[in-house]
Amino acid sequence: MTSDDDKARFATVVLPHLGDAYALARWITGDRSDAEDVVQDACLRAFRAIETFGGSNARAWTLTIVRNAAYTWMSKRRAMPMVAVGDLDDIERAQSLKGADGPGPGQASQTPETELIAKADAAQLQAAIAALPPQFRDTLVLRDLHGLDYREIAEVTGVPVGTVMSRLARARRRLIEAIGAKR
Amino acid sequence: MSPGPEQRDLLLVHAAVDGELDPANAVALEERIAADPALAEERARVEALRSALRERLPPEPAPPGLRERVRRAVGLAAAPPRFSSQPSWRALAASVALAAVLSSGGTWYSLRAPPTGDAVAEAVLAGHLRGLMAPQPIDVASSDRHTVKPWFNGRVPQSPRVIDLASEGYPLVGGRIDVVGRSGVPTLVYRHREHVISLTAIAGASRDQAITTVPSIKGYNVVGWAVDGISYWAVSDLGSGDLNRFAQLFRDAPPDQ
Repeated sequence: MTSDDDKARFATVVLPHLGDAYALARWITGDRSDAEDVVQDACLRAFRAIETFGGSNARAWTLTIVRNAAYTWMSKRRAMPMVAVGDLDDIERAQSLKGADGPGPGQASQTPETELIAKADAAQLQAAIAALPPQFRDTLVLRDLHGLDYREIAEVTGVPVGTVMSRLARARRRLIEAIGAKR
Repeated sequence: MSPGPEQRDLLLVHAAVDGELDPANAVALEERIAADPALAEERARVEALRSALRERLPPEPAPPGLRERVRRAVGLAAAPPRFSSQPSWRALAASVALAAVLSSGGTWYSLRAPPTGDAVAEAVLAGHLRGLMAPQPIDVASSDRHTVKPWFNGRVPQSPRVIDLASEGYPLVGGRIDVVGRSGVPTLVYRHREHVISLTAIAGASRDQAITTVPSIKGYNVVGWAVDGISYWAVSDLGSGDLNRFAQLFRDAPPDQ
């Protein structure tokens, strides 16, 4: 049984975030029509669960459902390689950047790498993001493309804020290395 | 395995760029960045990456039929009302308040606007005062408008326009949510010399209004205007000349800002 109240609630809680929902599903599935199917599936789930929405953050709530729906959908349709990765080794690797070849104190920080990043085109950026392991990609997409804050990303991806922080740093470091390496 | 102090700083650089550090940590990190060129470089790279992503990968819009498809799937009628079909009380209040204040030639105290109008003006000033009394007048501390604007996403129905006026002597300090009636509204916080300026944006103005100075309330100057359905209220203890200049700079900033 679904009441008109549920429909009205759905229209105010979920529908305003349909654009974000589609964009996230598009990144996870990598395909337009798959993304549409996922959004429809997620919206039905959200509708059925609408009374569980606590009223705090409609966008994070909606995106959580979309993300779960996308992974369920993917696991049914495709064999998805889930890369098991720790969350710290890239940071450790970034450590090694602090070597002897850096510029001296006070020097401008506009390095050739920074310039390459600034000049990277959309296709390059897109390919680099698509190549990220899923949990890093999701974190980066939610932060840098959707503009969610760390707390919201923690909610959507179901991990502590500290993990969001390290995943994000790690995802960005991978992009920087992928793009900065193309000379 | 926990990260060492240097790895920790690399993580903190990302958090700082994202406006996620509290002011004390932000200042402390700023000092370490100044002393460590490797950290400064990391920050430059992260900032370059963020702006490249933002500029070159705008979100792909949902296909036109998707909204209808979803509405049908859950049994909602077609032809959706965009947002709310009847104006909210807040929208009414915003336009009534501004019209009342702007058309009033007398003093603030002689103003006998409808109660909702007074409520909005009072709420905007109260937000500013609360901000001044709190340890810091902001919920998100950042001088980067690309950090401040998205921070409002999901917190208020509409992110406000955020304009960088640092080169004009009005650096952005951050933003917060104020409460007008029972709704959260976005407030931007700027600084001019030692003065704090709160700029509250309230959606739902029925027509544009020129910049108008309201007679000061208890030493606080208030300036109002409306553009594109949004009424803006700037409150500060700054002189009215400087506050007016701020209002003009903000209103007349090019649309791409």
